Amino acid sequence: MPPARARLPPRWPAWLQAWRFPALRLSARIVLVSLALLLLVQTAGYVVIGQSIQRNAHAQLGAHMALAERVWQRLLDQRAAKLHQGAAVLAADYGMREAVGTGDLETVRSALHNHGARIGASLAALLGTDLAAKAVGEGADPQLAPALVRLAPQLSQRPGSGVVALVANRPYQFVMVPMRAPALIGWVVMGFPLDQALVDDMHAVSGVHVALVAQPMRGAPLVLVHSFKPPVDTAPLAAHLADGDLQLGGQPHMVATAPVATGSDGRITLRLAGSVEAAVAPFRSLQWMLAIITLLGVALFGAGSLWTARRVTRPLRRLVRAADRLGRGDYDEPVAQDSRSDEIGDLARAFDHMRINVGTQRQQIRQLAYRDRLTGLPNRLQFRDEVQQAIAHADAAGGHIAVVMLDLDRFKHVNDVLGYASGDKLLERVAERLQEVVRDGDLVARLGGDEFALLMRDADVDLAAVVAQRITTAFEQPLLLDDHMVDLSAGLGIAVWPAHATDADALLSRAEVAMYAAKRRTAGAQVYDPAVDTASALNLSLLSELRRAVELGELRLYLQPKIAIRDGSVCGAEALVRWQHPTRGLVPPMQFIPFAEQTGFIRQLTLWMFEQAAAEQVALALLGVRRVSVNLSTRDLLDMELPEKLDAILRRHRALAEGFCLEITESAIMDDPQRAEATLNRLAERGYKLSIDDFGTGYSSLAYLKKLPVNELKIDKSFVMAMEKDAGDAKIVRSTIDLAHNLGLTVVAEGVENEAVLSLLHELQCDEGQGYHMPVAEFCDWVARWQARAPAQPGLAVELRVGAPLLH
Amino acid sequence: MTRKLSLLCPVALLCLLTGPALPAHAAAVDVQVTDAAGKPLPGAAVFLESKEARAASKPLAGVDVVQANRQFQPVVSVVTVGTPVSFPNRDTVRHHVYSFSPVKKFEIKLYVGTPTAPVVFDAPGIAALGCNIHDTMAAWVVVVDTPYNGLSGADGKLGLPAVPAGSYRLRAWHPGLPPGAPALDQALQVPASGNLPVVVKITGVAP
Repeated sequence: MPPARARLPPRWPAWLQAWRFPALRLSARIVLVSLALLLLVQTAGYVVIGQSIQRNAHAQLGAHMALAERVWQRLLDQRAAKLHQGAAVLAADYGMREAVGTGDLETVRSALHNHGARIGASLAALLGTDLAAKAVGEGADPQLAPALVRLAPQLSQRPGSGVVALVANRPYQFVMVPMRAPALIGWVVMGFPLDQALVDDMHAVSGVHVALVAQPMRGAPLVLVHSFKPPVDTAPLAAHLADGDLQLGGQPHMVATAPVATGSDGRITLRLAGSVEAAVAPFRSLQWMLAIITLLGVALFGAGSLWTARRVTRPLRRLVRAADRLGRGDYDEPVAQDSRSDEIGDLARAFDHMRINVGTQRQQIRQLAYRDRLTGLPNRLQFRDEVQQAIAHADAAGGHIAVVMLDLDRFKHVNDVLGYASGDKLLERVAERLQEVVRDGDLVARLGGDEFALLMRDADVDLAAVVAQRITTAFEQPLLLDDHMVDLSAGLGIAVWPAHATDADALLSRAEVAMYAAKRRTAGAQVYDPAVDTASALNLSLLSELRRAVELGELRLYLQPKIAIRDGSVCGAEALVRWQHPTRGLVPPMQFIPFAEQTGFIRQLTLWMFEQAAAEQVALALLGVRRVSVNLSTRDLLDMELPEKLDAILRRHRALAEGFCLEITESAIMDDPQRAEATLNRLAERGYKLSIDDFGTGYSSLAYLKKLPVNELKIDKSFVMAMEKDAGDAKIVRSTIDLAHNLGLTVVAEGVENEAVLSLLHELQCDEGQGYHMPVAEFCDWVARWQARAPAQPGLAVELRVGAPLLH
Repeated sequence: MTRKLSLLCPVALLCLLTGPALPAHAAAVDVQVTDAAGKPLPGAAVFLESKEARAASKPLAGVDVVQANRQFQPVVSVVTVGTPVSFPNRDTVRHHVYSFSPVKKFEIKLYVGTPTAPVVFDAPGIAALGCNIHDTMAAWVVVVDTPYNGLSGADGKLGLPAVPAGSYRLRAWHPGLPPGAPALDQALQVPASGNLPVVVKITGVAP
């Protein structure tokens, strides 16, 4: 997975992951979120205010236009009044009336023109009482006169107030007043164009632009006159007659309409256009102020949140650095903290507490890891480190290093007899005693159990041997433990650098090898001998090969027949193991059995043999071989779970415990008599026959043997084979047989290889004899042949000799 | 608008008349003037025209149209052709009496008291008089060429005694009639004796 993806939790969709790039620092996020929220709020406010302004502007504009409409009406009325006044003055003029009365139309026309010009009327005319045009002022538009005739009835109905009408696509305002002398003698009509001056006036007074739009009966509506300065394209005003918003000159305007006149020629409407821009203008500055406040707010907010974020993230970064230091194992530098009383301060303080506590605990763990709790001495780890350092130091200085390793003898007995507390005391005393005898500067360590080691810097083999001797001497003095005198002895191994090893591990290993050698020889101290080590190296490879041998089936089960001496029949057999090595051929048991016992692998071998024998049990029983003996080692006896393991094998092969005899050596029992006895009892309960192997070679007391649930004694072949020639051995055999019989045990003689021995044993009333061994298949054939010949006793020894070489 | 003179001859009423004795070949004409609604109409000029009557017409004397309280008095005067009419000013303000009527155009410029020369109305017709200073002042002089004329009273009645028998044109005019409208014209046969009641209905009179 690419790192960029790994950084994000999977719940983010892909597009968002792309958007989130790059991973923002916390402070940046805080600032961004604050600003985004502020902008959101401000934008919402801006939008609402903007809409409100628009609404207000429209409402204001609407009110303004309604006012403008009334202004327009008032303007028209004023003009009508002006016209009316002018017309009234003319109508009341005595000379005029006289001219009318005397029918002097020439004079009347000039008077009409004169008076009309005075008030700026474009038309002045005299109508008769029948409303027919009698005289029209000079210079008037000829098209006006016919229009007058059409308008006169309407005007006569509303004398005094004006009438607006469209004449030849021009808007006019007309008034008509009666002329009396004193009775009605005619009508004076005056007409005014609604011109640029009017709309300019209108715009000046109302502030609203106006346009007069004509809608002729025929033809498209057109703008007659308008107040826009500079002129704009007013075509939309004629094209769109609905009220509402309209773009004029590229600017939005609100447009309203007021009817001005409706006549046979068409209609005139007034269009009022208020600039939305102008209405909004006063609010623009408000909006600008708002925008500036927003900008200031963003700046302040940004600075504020940045400051706050820094206040949070800076100590966090300090803590990260502190955590890095802790991660590297540096617990000494305090976590930088200030006197803040907020959560960050709490965190820093908690962090520092953690640093101190973890540091302390680490110290304790180191103590536990590198020190032996019981004696307070360095443990194996520490010792190994020290050796490494000493070698490094010596390497640089060109010196020597010596390691003395020692293992107490019979410490287990002390534990078992006096209890573990005494065992512990013993170890403490040993530690003390060791420290007393070593040189100053030498390091004493407890490697585990009853194993101690001594590191001597600048020491050669001779010096180490001297110290080892001092230790041995020191151990000769018995130790008083809870009123018990305990004899101390130990095996000591010496190895030196660089003579024996090139590195610390090898040096320790050599010392250990030497120590074991010393223990085997029960000689106090032993200097490492490479010859010993070769064997140990061989052993190591042997162990792995042995493991492989079990897995690959290289082991072979051999059986050695047991013959009932009384009648010469084959009554049992002892199971033995042979190793068919792929390259070394048949490996003799002496080459791997002791080693297997030493390493504990013997337990696997025992189980393997037991399983093989169980598998053959039925076949052997058919041949009359009722019982197969299997050897148990010391390790087997100490394995408390052995009975259960055997049970499992019996179950697997549907075999019976009664079909087995388990053979135990004296020394195996004596290694841990209590535990051995317990195991033996449990095995006896299950129906196994138990036999003491190699009887006579150990030191077991008969009294002790009597306590054990043993059924059989086996006389070692060294006695049996020699008894023919040695009378002493014969006596031992004889007394052993008698002794065993007296104890109710049967006796098996090993190493029966000739007839003389056999007959001798017969005389001594030995129960069974055991001789050659052979592979299972061969054994079965042999037994069949043997049984068939029975009871031809004299042939036994001869036949026995036919088999494979001797086992022991 | 129709202008119609209704002449009624209620014979039954004539039979019941018990009036004083009249000169031979003459009768008394009792005129009742009403408006369109039949209500009595005062101030209407009524006169009977005929060739004989024109011959019998003689100018009147001492006719005044007075200006008092910024009003003409009387508002309607009926005079025969050739009658000089004086316009004494009894107000303290000056008046400027004029007439643009074709029957008699004149003006008496700003004056106080009685102008030295009266205005002689020498042709039949109706002259509308005004004051150039006071537009509300108006008066009419109805110039007739017959002696049988008069104004209807407050009850709309006018009695013309001793009208010789013969054929006449009964004319009637009221200032409420539209400007320039001529007097009503209707034939009337006056008997040789007795009372001739006549009802004249003038329609189209402005209030």
